[in-house]
Amino acid sequence: MDLERELRGLAIAWPKTPDLRPELGPRVRSRRPLLAAIAVALVVVALAAAFAVPQSRGAILRFLHLGGVTVEIVDTLPSAQERPLAAGLGPVVTAADARRRLGATPLVPPLDPPPPLHVADGVVSAVFADRGRPVLLSELGGDDPVIVKKLLQGGQIRFVRVGGAPGYWITGTGHVVTLPPSPSPRLAGNVLLWQTGGLTLRLEGRGLTLARALELAGSFRLLRDTP
Amino acid sequence: MEGRPREERELVLRAQGGDPRAFEELVRPHEEVAFRVAYLITRNAAEAEDAAQEGLVKAWRALGRFRAGEPMRPWLLRIVANEARNRRRSSGRRDRLALAAAEVSGEAAPSPEAAAVEADERRRLLDALEELPEQARLALACRYLLELSEDETASALGVRRGTVKSRSARALEKLREAYGPRA
Repeated sequence: MDLERELRGLAIAWPKTPDLRPELGPRVRSRRPLLAAIAVALVVVALAAAFAVPQSRGAILRFLHLGGVTVEIVDTLPSAQERPLAAGLGPVVTAADARRRLGATPLVPPLDPPPPLHVADGVVSAVFADRGRPVLLSELGGDDPVIVKKLLQGGQIRFVRVGGAPGYWITGTGHVVTLPPSPSPRLAGNVLLWQTGGLTLRLEGRGLTLARALELAGSFRLLRDTP
Repeated sequence: MEGRPREERELVLRAQGGDPRAFEELVRPHEEVAFRVAYLITRNAAEAEDAAQEGLVKAWRALGRFRAGEPMRPWLLRIVANEARNRRRSSGRRDRLALAAAEVSGEAAPSPEAAAVEADERRRLLDALEELPEQARLALACRYLLELSEDETASALGVRRGTVKSRSARALEKLREAYGPRA
């Protein structure tokens, strides 16, 4: 048809294709269920060092995604407040509802009864006590960025393996997190971030150590429906 | 670009084994079209660059789920286009596409006057294309400006092939009405 030919014949002055040389970090090899033993091959990559050279425009020096979590390495942190881990997690829902909202079965700590599950904007959360201190577990399905963490350049981020699955361990005072539904960031404690079985999981606690976080991660079980 | 499936398959397997060079070789033939798809969506060259760059990183991470033997281009376009849509959504920008017709020289223009008329017609056609609703504009731009196949367009737009067909047909009708007969 005439018009199709005319469209095809339009020589467009496209902007010059840039030299796309993405930084290829550790590749996600598989998403195995986490229920296997968690003898962790702890691969420490000096990610913070790798991130130290700014290349992108603006204040975000580097970013990486792990499932629904985006970690941005920035030169200035936004102002953030300290808020309790349990603040603003959304309403408590039933197991079935949590599963439906997540599109997968949530993992929960092996407590009896399991901690109440909250849902907000597709994030399923639970706060429970670990050795007398509160720990927040957040779970996301899908790859759309929902949780944004900002970490100061030079901050502590390490690549770790959690039961064979890729993850990051983020520590130090220089990071903040924006967790839905709250639009404003808060100061974050130590965080283990990993993917398993199509879920992205985030475990946060002030006094949490990497060893304890990995232990906890390995103890989580698929949620059973409660009557 | 898809004339070397065996080679591509081998590169996929090597890249899946963790070889970043193999991945780069694999995606290089598709980088230009991926960037242009991102540009059509974001309407901004810097945003398109970021989207393409980040799309490639995501593709690298997701490579374990790619089946060796399947065409790489639609898969890659889907990831980059998705990234571009997310960026456009979050930036809230609504730039005009500033698609410009390249200068055409040579036998097409028998005289300066005719050349001016031709250039004017091309501009008018591009303007009419720009004025189409977003989905219609993208369908036509992918099909006719980038000359993507229906399958590739479907991947880039995140719709089914049948939707590309019907959307393109309707978009052509709209464009025909807007562009009208030559003066």
